[in-house]
Amino acid sequence: MIAWFLRRTFAALVTVLAVVTFIFFAIHLAPGRPFLPGGDRPLDPAVEAGLRARFGLDRPLVVQYADYLAALARGDLGESFSQQREVSTALAEAIPNTLVLAGTALALDLVLGTLTGVLMAAQAGRRADRALGGVTLVVYALPTFWLGLVLLLVFGQWLRWFPVGGVTDPVVYGALPLAGRVLDRLHHLALPALSLGLVGAAGTARFQRAAMLDALRQGFVRTARAGGLSERRVLGHALRNALLPSITLLGLALPFLLTGSVVVETVFAWPGMGKLAADAIASRDYPVVMAATLVASLLVALGSLAADVLYAVADPRIRPSRAA
Amino acid sequence: MTPASWVALLLVAVGSVAAVRMLRGVPAPGSRRFFGLPAAGFGLGVLVFFILLAVVAPLVSGYRPSLQLDIVGLQSSPPSWRHLLGTDLLSRDVWSRVAFGARVSLGIGLLATVVSIGLGAVVGAVAGYFRGTADAVLMRLVDVGLAVPRIFLVLAAIAVGHPLSVVPLALLLGLTGWFATSRLVRAEVLSLRERTFVEGARALGVGPWRTIWRHVLPGTSAVVVVAAALGVANVMLLEAGLSFLGVGVQPPVPSWGNMIADARDQLATAPWASLFPGIAITGVVVALHAVADALRNALDPRGAPSA
Amino acid sequence: MAIESRSRTAGVAGTVLAVLLAASCEPKGTCHGEYCGTLVFAAVGQPVTLLPPVTDQVLDRDIFDQIFLRLADIGPDLNTVGDAGSVPRLADRWTWTDSLTLAFHLNPKARWQDGPPVTAGDVVFSFAAFTDSSLDSPYRDGLKRIASVTAADSSTAVFHFRSRYPEMFYDAVYYLRVLPAHLLRVVPFARWRTAPFGRAPVGDGPYRLVNWAPGQSLELVADSSFFLGRPHIRRLVWRFNGDLSVAVTQVVAGEADAIEVLVSPPNIARARGAAHLRLYPYAGSVYSMVGFNLRAPGGGGPHPILGDPDVRRALVLATDRVRMARSVFGDAAKVPPAPIPEEWSSLWFKDLAVPPYDTAQAARLLERRGWLPGADGVRRRGDRKLSISLLVPSTSPPRRQYAQLIQEELRAVGVAVRIEEVDPPTLDQRLRAGRYDAAVESWGNDPAPSSGIPGAWKSGGDSNFGHYADAVFDRWVDSALRAGSPEDVTRAWRAALEVLAQDAPAIVLCAPDNIAAIDQRVAGVRIRADEYWADVWMWRIAPDRLIERDRLGR
Repeated sequence: MIAWFLRRTFAALVTVLAVVTFIFFAIHLAPGRPFLPGGDRPLDPAVEAGLRARFGLDRPLVVQYADYLAALARGDLGESFSQQREVSTALAEAIPNTLVLAGTALALDLVLGTLTGVLMAAQAGRRADRALGGVTLVVYALPTFWLGLVLLLVFGQWLRWFPVGGVTDPVVYGALPLAGRVLDRLHHLALPALSLGLVGAAGTARFQRAAMLDALRQGFVRTARAGGLSERRVLGHALRNALLPSITLLGLALPFLLTGSVVVETVFAWPGMGKLAADAIASRDYPVVMAATLVASLLVALGSLAADVLYAVADPRIRPSRAA
Repeated sequence: MTPASWVALLLVAVGSVAAVRMLRGVPAPGSRRFFGLPAAGFGLGVLVFFILLAVVAPLVSGYRPSLQLDIVGLQSSPPSWRHLLGTDLLSRDVWSRVAFGARVSLGIGLLATVVSIGLGAVVGAVAGYFRGTADAVLMRLVDVGLAVPRIFLVLAAIAVGHPLSVVPLALLLGLTGWFATSRLVRAEVLSLRERTFVEGARALGVGPWRTIWRHVLPGTSAVVVVAAALGVANVMLLEAGLSFLGVGVQPPVPSWGNMIADARDQLATAPWASLFPGIAITGVVVALHAVADALRNALDPRGAPSA
Repeated sequence: MAIESRSRTAGVAGTVLAVLLAASCEPKGTCHGEYCGTLVFAAVGQPVTLLPPVTDQVLDRDIFDQIFLRLADIGPDLNTVGDAGSVPRLADRWTWTDSLTLAFHLNPKARWQDGPPVTAGDVVFSFAAFTDSSLDSPYRDGLKRIASVTAADSSTAVFHFRSRYPEMFYDAVYYLRVLPAHLLRVVPFARWRTAPFGRAPVGDGPYRLVNWAPGQSLELVADSSFFLGRPHIRRLVWRFNGDLSVAVTQVVAGEADAIEVLVSPPNIARARGAAHLRLYPYAGSVYSMVGFNLRAPGGGGPHPILGDPDVRRALVLATDRVRMARSVFGDAAKVPPAPIPEEWSSLWFKDLAVPPYDTAQAARLLERRGWLPGADGVRRRGDRKLSISLLVPSTSPPRRQYAQLIQEELRAVGVAVRIEEVDPPTLDQRLRAGRYDAAVESWGNDPAPSSGIPGAWKSGGDSNFGHYADAVFDRWVDSALRAGSPEDVTRAWRAALEVLAQDAPAIVLCAPDNIAAIDQRVAGVRIRADEYWADVWMWRIAPDRLIERDRLGR
C-alpha cells in the first residue's frame, strides 16, 4: 500500500514537471514580447535590452530553462514583469481567492447535487423526478460564462440583491465588525460560486440519481425493506453505497473548477489564479505564467491523487493487493 | 425571412419529426431500450433538426450571414416577421447567422470529436492491450494532458501568432481532447482482453494489431459512442468559451460561440442577439446528453437503466 | 425523533442567522457637513505603478493626478500656446527673465505629505529623472527642447530653453510632475520601474494613498491641510474590473459613482436609463484610423498593393466613414478631416481635401490602376488579387465592429479583406515588425499636436509603423514646431494635414466624444478632456445629499 502510494506520488510529480516544461517553452516561444509600456508608445530599444538582460531573457532558451528549474528548487518564483513585485506575493494573494471560490463551488456542487440526486431517485418516475431531470439537463448544458453574465445582470443590476463583482466592498469593509466582514465576503462570493457550482451540481445530481437507483436495486436494500426499516433509513444506506463514485468525481472536478474559474473570475472581477494567469498570458509576464501553471498542475495532481486514495480507502475491493 | 425560406424551415421541421418516427420503427437490437427513455426521441429530433438546418442553411435563411442590412437603421432590432430572430449590432439577420452558425459549430464539434475519439481509442486500446511499458508511457502522457489547465489551450492558440481558421481550430480542439477517452477505452480493453473470444483469436495466431482492430475495438463501441456524443457537447461549449476569451472563430464567419461572445454587452438592451445562439448551443448539448443517456441504456447490457 | 431533530436544527440555524444579521447591520457613519463624501470610481484594468515618470497608462495617471502636482496646469480650454488660461499649482507665479529663460516661484506653503516643504531642488531632481536615458520616461521626448533646469534659490526653479517656439510654457509645465528628491534620490534611475515607491507614493497633492488591495481596489484620503484648499470629498475609492461592461453595471447599479468613458452606444443607453446618473460629454483625446503599411511586409520595397497612393485613395473613397461612425458610436463621435482627436479643436479645418464617400469614383480609380474585376468579385491585376489583411485587437469591441463594417464596404468594390483578431501584445509586435497590411489603430493624445503628429507621421517617427515618408510634409511639421505666432503655427499644421489628406496613408475613421457618467449628487463637476479627474479635488457633495457611504471613513 505504501509502495503504491509512493509510486503514485512520484508519477504525479513527473507529470507536474512535464506540464511545467511544456508551458515554459510554449510561453517563451509565443509571439509578442513582455515589458510593453502600455498605450501605443514603443519601448526604447536600449531600455528594453536592459530589461531583457536583467531578467536573463537574452540567453539561450535551454539555459533559461535550466536556471528556472534551479530557482524553483530554491523556492524562488521570480519577479513579475508587469506587476513589479515578487511573483510569490502575487500568488499568495490570488491563491486564497481561487481556493475560496473553487471550494465553495465544490461544496455547492456536492451538497446541492447530492440532495437533488437523492430526491430525484426517491421520486423516480414521478413528476418531481421528470421536472428536476429536465432542469438539471438544461443547467448542465449552459455555457458557464453565460450563466455568470445572466446572474450578474438579474441579481446584480436588476434586483440588486448581490454586489457587482469584487471580493469585498472596498468602501465599507474596513468599518465593519467581524461578523459583518464575514457576511460581506459571503455576499460577494454568492454569485461567482453559483455560476461555477450550479453547472457541476446539475451534473452531480444526474450522476447521483443513477448511482442511487443502482444501489437501491441491490439485494441488501430488499432485505432492509423486508426487515421493516423506514424508507429514510433505507435511503441512507443506499446513499452510503452510492456516494463512492461521487468521491472520484471530486478529484476530477478540481481541474474543471480551476479552468472554469478563469471565465467566472473575469466576469466577476474576482482576483484569483485564473484571472492572474489570463492577465499574465495577455501581457507575456513569463514568471507569473510559469508560477500559475505550477500551482494549477500541482493542485490537479493532488486532486487526482487524493481521489485515488479516497477511493482505495473507501472501497476495500479495489485496494491494490500486495500480490499484484 | 422570405416566403421560400419559411417553406424550407417548415420542411426541415417536418423532416426532423418524420426522421425520428422512421428511426423509431427500425428493428435494430437495443432500439426499444433506446427509445424507452422519453427524452431520447426528443433529443434525437432536436439533433436531426439542427443537422438538417446546417445542411440546407442557404435555403432556410433569408440573407447572407455577413450581410449588413442597414448599419444605422436596422442595428439591434428586435424579432419581427422580416427578421425572425432580430438583427445584431452590425444589422445582420440573427436567424441566418444561427443557421449558418450551425454549420460551423456542429462542424467543429464533429471534426474535433472524430479526431479526439479516434486518437483516444487507438491510444487507449494500445495501452490496454499491450500493457507493460507502452501502457505506462502512454498513461503518463495522458496524465500530463489531463493536468494541463484549459486556459493554456488558449495560450496554444495565441502561440501560433495569427488567428486560426475553422479547420485548424477544430484540429487543435481535437488534439487536446483525447485524454479522457483514452482512459475510458483502456479500462474497457483491460477487461475485454481477458474474454474468451480474444483468447481464441490469439490461440488461432491472429496478430495483435488485427486482434485489436477486429475484436477488441468493436467491443469498446458502447463506451466510445457515448463518449463521442458527450465529446461533441463539450467541444461546442469549449468553442463558446474560447470565443468569449477572444481566441475563437474569426469574423465574419458566424459560430454560435462567437455570436454569444460578441453580443454579451447587449445582454440587457438586445438580448435576442445572444439568447438564440445560446438556446441553440444549450439545445444541442441537452439533446446530445439525452441521446448519450439513451445510447448508454441501449448498448450496454450491464448498464443501470435510468428510468 | 426525526421530526424533533429537524426542528431543533432549524432553530439553531435560525438563531445563528439572526445573530449574524444583527451584528452586521450597516455601520453608521458619523461625518456631517461640507467635507464628507466617498466617491467610488469604476475602472477597467488595474494600475501598475504610481510613480509618474515611469508610466503613461491612463489609470495610473488618473490616480497619481491626485497625489502629485505640476508647476501649473493648462486651463479647461486646453490652450497650449503661451500661458493664457493656465492655472498656478505648485508655482504661484512665473516670469520670463528673457526670451529663453522662464522662472517659476514656488508657493511657500507647498509641502510633501511626510512634512518637508517642496523646494526648487525637487524640481531640478524631477527634471533629471524625467529626462534620464536609463529610465526612458514616455515624457522624455516632450522635454527635449529644454536645455536645463536650475535652482536660483530654494523656492525658484529656472528653465533654460535652446530656442524660441510657441509651446515653451506648455513643455515646461505639462510633462513634469515634481517628485520628492529627499525620498527618491537614493534609488538609482534604472531601478525606478520596479521601485517600491511606485506602490506607496508620497506626494504633495490634495490626496494621499491609504490602501491598495491589488486587483481589487485602491483608496485615497483627502489631505485636510492641502495648501490650495481642502478637498470637499473626503475619500476616493477605485474599484478595478476586467471588463468595461461590468464597470458600467457597477455604476448603473449604484455601487460606483463615476466612470470616465462609456465608449459604446449600448453602455451609453444603459447609463442614460439610470435615473441617478448624469452624463457629461467632453472632447475626446482619441482618434481611430485604419493605418496602412506602405512597405512590403517581409521587407524591401513598397507594399505591392498599398504602396500606390491611388489605391489608398480609392480605399478611402469606398468607405462611408460618417455612416460607420453613426453605426458604431451613434451620435457620440465625429469624423475628423485628418488623424486628429477632438481635443485639437484648432485643427478641425472644414475645407481640407479629404476624399468623400464615392464608390463609383473608387471603382474608376482602381480600374485606372489596373485592378480589374474578377470572377469571384475580387479585383485582380495580372495574377495578384486585391486582398489585404486587417489586424484588430480582440480586446476592443468598437474596433472589432469597425473591422467588420469595413470588410463589407470594401467587398462591395472588389477588395477582399481578411480580418485577423489578435491579442494586444501580438498586435504590437506585428505592427512593430511591419508584418501587416492594414490595422485598425486607436491613438490617445496629449493636448498638444506637437506631441502626436510628428511621432506618427514624420519619417522615422517612433509610432510611424506604416513608414509614411513625405519630404514636404516633414518640412511643414518642422515649420509648425518652430513658428513664432499662433497664426503661423495653425497655417503650418494646416498645410501638413493637407498633404496627409492627399496621400491617404490611412482611412481616418472617427474621433469619439468621451462621455462620463457621474452620480447626480456630486456638484461642481468639471472634467478636463486630457485628464479626466484632474479637478476632482474641487468637486463637492452638498451636506443634504450625503448618502450612507459618504458618512463613513476616517
